[in-house]
Formats: sequence, structure tokens, C-alpha cells
Amino acid sequence: MSRSRGERVSDVRRLMAAARAVYARRASLEADLVRSTGLSPQGVELGFMSLERDATDDELASLVEAAGDARHVHVVLSANVFVAPMRALALARAAAPRVTVRPSPRDPVIARALVEAAGDDGISLVEERDVGAIDADAIHVYGRDVTIAEVSARARSGTVVLGHGAGLGIAVISPGADLCASAAALSLDVAAFDQRGCLSPRVAVVVGDAERASSFAAALDAALTDLGPRIPRGTLLDAERGEAVHWCDTLAFAGRLWRGPQHAVGLDPGTGLAIPPTGRHVLVVSSDDRAGVAARIAPIRSAIVIAGSDDPSLAQAVAPAHARAARLGAMQRPPLDGPVDRR
Amino acid sequence: MSSRAESDALHARARAFVLAFERGAPMPEPFDGLAADLARYQARHVHGYARLCAARGVDPEAITRAVEAPAVPTDAFKVSSVFAFDPPDATTTFCTSGTTLGARGTHRMRDVTTYDAAALAFGRALLAHGLALPAAVIVVGPSDAEAPDSSLAHMNATFARAWGEAESEATYFVRGGEIAMPALRERVTALPANTPAIVLATSFALVHLLDAMGGERLPLPAGSRVMLTGGYKGKSREVEAGALRRAVSDELGVAPRNVIGEYGMTELSSQFWEATVARADAPQGVYVEPPWARVVAVHPETLAPVPDGQIGIARIEDLANVDSAFAILSQDRVRRVPGGFELLGRAPGAPPRGCSIALDEMLGGA
Repeated sequence: MSRSRGERVSDVRRLMAAARAVYARRASLEADLVRSTGLSPQGVELGFMSLERDATDDELASLVEAAGDARHVHVVLSANVFVAPMRALALARAAAPRVTVRPSPRDPVIARALVEAAGDDGISLVEERDVGAIDADAIHVYGRDVTIAEVSARARSGTVVLGHGAGLGIAVISPGADLCASAAALSLDVAAFDQRGCLSPRVAVVVGDAERASSFAAALDAALTDLGPRIPRGTLLDAERGEAVHWCDTLAFAGRLWRGPQHAVGLDPGTGLAIPPTGRHVLVVSSDDRAGVAARIAPIRSAIVIAGSDDPSLAQAVAPAHARAARLGAMQRPPLDGPVDRR
Repeated sequence: MSSRAESDALHARARAFVLAFERGAPMPEPFDGLAADLARYQARHVHGYARLCAARGVDPEAITRAVEAPAVPTDAFKVSSVFAFDPPDATTTFCTSGTTLGARGTHRMRDVTTYDAAALAFGRALLAHGLALPAAVIVVGPSDAEAPDSSLAHMNATFARAWGEAESEATYFVRGGEIAMPALRERVTALPANTPAIVLATSFALVHLLDAMGGERLPLPAGSRVMLTGGYKGKSREVEAGALRRAVSDELGVAPRNVIGEYGMTELSSQFWEATVARADAPQGVYVEPPWARVVAVHPETLAPVPDGQIGIARIEDLANVDSAFAILSQDRVRRVPGGFELLGRAPGAPPRGCSIALDEMLGGA
């Protein structure tokens, strides 16, 4: 290890100070973020709640441990939620004394703002698109599987490529849950980033019978309806709207659909798992008991990045080994203790 | 009238379209009339369809035109039951080749004779047009015994039995998942030079065949036809459609217009064909419908028909889909053009705006 643990933690703390500065001037960034993300202004404000500005000593120790050791890390940000550059930079800076970052061409706002605010000579922005031209011993790439594969193929021989891919979140509603309170908490997790994050829940498994699942779906519909005027959904792309129509009609056929002006909740009483598209669409299914939840989510197990629940022990129990666990309402704010995606 | 008797009567009406087509006679009734009756029947007996109609604010009893009936998304065949009869009454079950999150799309049929009649009539007119039958039918695919849940294997076998000289081991040349190259070579070289053959294959099977031939030419008799259908779905290296046609034409010695595209889906009972053999002026890449089916390009969000020439999602109305869903909403993009429609492939997923996994990425292209 070329730098001490303390030096690494200090470098990450400097980034957290930069994050606090960026957060303080978030109003000045809002218009650019609305344009680049498609979120509403209120959606941008909600998203800023997920910008990591604090961490405990233990969390930072864990982050440094997870970051590894490198001479120069190059970070490729191709597709992610707008606050994600903070954790990406923190991981890279914990790993290496020199960090170069290529922001997402479509959404460079926060990466630029953080680098500027950090004033850290060890971090610099680059526009180089060809990773083969980058002299780094590690590349951290955030994006789709295809992007990660492309970067791996183009990287120089000997360069370690660490991919952070796409994923989704699931919610599990425990047998003892207050359905309305759980739905209200989950609605915030769903609304954040208009469900475009890998921590965004798209499936809710209700432990209980179909009637209880139906009650929860209705409660979630009510919660999302209530949230809509306060945090309006942003603009959806044509393809997203088309996917939503296909999914909504599938769920209307297969079970029951609650369709709001800015969201939809579908209940599938069968054994299907029609994963909804992003844009505030949630599939609700039921599992007779806690033990059955794992089987219910088995087809999407490898894509799950986080499991949220009103019952932390249930979240821990159903989360795949690679996934995080969280309380409902906090799924979009995991501690700064390592990568979001632990797969 | 019992539901079974009602179904039988609707099948008979659908087959009357097929019979009229074969005879070159006028259609027995307006398309919209049978479509409306199918929509009502399906709303009564396919529970999901009644729910879909309700969600779309459509009263099935008030439907008078096909376009008024909500289309069932193809994903519904993967997560729900789409049939109008008691499960034990199913005589045939077709499944999609790709799996979606562990589930394959399933199309159950109580009466497959309408499917068979429709396939034979339109295939005869578009693929086997002008050929003296029986002919040598060569299937570069599995038999229906080897792939009993494949609608394509069923269609191929139906063609082989109806048009072939005699169904035998010399009909099917994918065995145990492998192309039986020596047997195929022997079969083709033994064909009489003056007797055209019919080759039935998927795109990926033809790619494998050409790879197995390794540049060797294996000319079919003059006038032979090659059916080309389906995508790749990760089953072989992908070859651009035009390049594959040229390669098939060159290496199998078939006129380019005799390499004929077919478009079908497990969820349907009818198929669509290029008309390059049947009509001298028909362009490649334009598929035509039989009189009992329609392909409507619709806006992906409003589901309203888009003007001819514009790209939309394929809403397919198939009067032969009596006991399931007469109107299907696919995820394939199409464009209406003079003489038919162009097939433009599956709708691309939404471009990434975050790190939430895209549906097509999660499905692995299935």
C-alpha cells in the first residue's frame, strides 16, 4: 500500500467536504440537472438527498478496504444516477493517488462540480473516450454490461477493469408490516431518480396471501398518487413510455393494475414476474411465508443490488449475498462504505 | 350455446376464410364481423381479456370493428393463461424459444386444425407457389417429435406431410441440436435435377449450415425455394439479412427471389410471407398478410394506428387465434408500405439514463 490508510481516508473526507459544498449550491445546478436527467426540479432535490456528505469512521475504513490499491485509477461514468460520481470518485481516490475521470457525456454536472469543489491535485477530469489511450493500472467503469465489455476489450494489456453494472432493488413487506407506512416509505425509494437507479425498487414481495398483496398494492398506489404533486415525475423517453404501456396492459391482463397519472402499480396474483420498466412502475407479488420469498425472486436474483424491508432482519435474510439490505425509505441512501453494487 | 360449441362455430368461420382464399372466392364475411365476435367470445372465456378490456375502458359487447378490441401484449403469454377452455382440453401447447425470467411464453390450443389449414393455405400460395407437389421438403430444423412445443417445428412438419413425398429421416436435418451435414449433403445431391425442393430453415440454422459447408456449394435443383425465418437470439453468429440471403443464394444455387422470408410468432396461428415468388413485382423485405390476418403499425404509447410509411409497433389481428387472443401486441417494429409491411426488428429498449437494469439486458436478449 503506497499511501497509509489515514491518507486515503483524508482524501475521501476531502471529497465529502466537496460534496457538502456542491449540495450547498445545488440550486445553481438544478437547471442543468433537470435538462440532463429528465427529472423534475423536485425530483432533482430528492435525488440530492442521496449525495453522500457524511460517513462514520467505520464506514470509511470499510470503503478504503474495499477500494483496493492502485497507482492510477481511471473512472468511466457512462450511465448512472446523477449523484453517483461521488461514490465513484471516493472509491477511486481511496484506491489511488492519481484519479482521472471521464464524466458521462450526457450528465457531467455533478462530476465536474465535485472535482472543482474538491480542489484535489490527485483528481482530474479528462474527455478522452478511448480507454486504450489511458495509462492507468485500473479502470473503474460504471454502465451497462455492454459498456463494461467494450471497456474491457479496449483497455491496455495489464489494466485491471472493475465493472459496476446495472441492477435493481426489491422490497419485501414483512408479515407484521403496517401496509400504509411501508407503502409511504417505499414510494420515496421508487420516486427517487424516477426509478432509474440500480437501488430503485421495481418489485415488492408481500409476505402473506393475495389479498394482503392487493391491499399493499392499493396502499402503494395511494402513496405514489400522494407523492406525485409534491415530487412530480420528470419526462420519460418515448421508448420508456412504450415499455410502460406494454407492461401496464400485461399486468391489467394478468392481474390488476392501479394506474396513476405519474405511476402504475401492478399486482400479479400468479407466479409470473413481469419486471416493470423504470418511471415509477412497481410489480407487487405475494409469498405465503418468509421462506418463499427467495424462490419468488430467484429469476432476478443476480440483478438484485439491494433488498429493502420494513423489517431489517427480513431484508438481510432475503438479500442475495452480493446485495445490500436497507430499511424501506432508505434504499437510495446506503452508507459510504464501498461500492453500491457489490456483485 | 356451450363455450365449446361457440368455439367450434368460430373455428368454422375462421376456416371459411381459409377455404375461400384457397378457392379464390370472396371472403365469406367481413373481417370486422368475425373479429368482433372473437373479441366478445374471448372476453367471456379468457378472464384476463375481460380485465384488459375493462382497464382500457372497452365494452366487448360494443365492439364492432377489429381495431376497437384491445390487443393482448405478448408478455401476457409468459406470465398468465391465455386460453378460453379448460386446461385438460388443450391438444397442443407451443412455447416461445426464449425464456423471460424463467418463464416461456405459452400458447395452448384446443383445436389445431385451423392453425394447420391457415398455414398450409398461405404457405402454399407464397412459398410453394407454382410448384408441382409433392416435392422434396428438407427441414433444416428438428422434427416436431424432437421439438413438440415448437410452433415452427409444427409448421414445418405440417408442410412436410402435406407437400413432401414421404416424411422420413430424409426430411429433418437437425438432430440432437446438430446439423446432420453428411445426411443433408447426401439428400441434396440425390435430388433429381428437374424437381424443385423446398428447404425450411431459420436464419441461425442457415448460418450454421453455411458454416458447416465451409465454402462448399451444395446446389439445389432449379426452381427450389428456401424459407428463411426468425432471428438469432444468441444462437449463432449474426449475419446481416441481405448477406445471408446472398450467401444462401450463392451456395445453395437458389435464385435470390426464391429465398423467401417468413414472419410468425408462437402467440399467433397465422404467418406472413414475402411475396417474391408469387408476384413478380413484390420487393424483398415486404411481408404480406392472408385475408384472415392483419398487421397494424401502432404508436407504442397511444396504440393508435400510425400512418402508412411510419414506424410503429406491430399489432397483429389474427382471426385464426380463436381460443386465445385474436389481437396481439408484439414488441416488433413494423412499417406499412405498398403491398404489405416491413419488419424492422424488436423495439430497442430505452436508452440508459441511469443504472437501473434495462429489461432487455435482464432478459439477455431472449
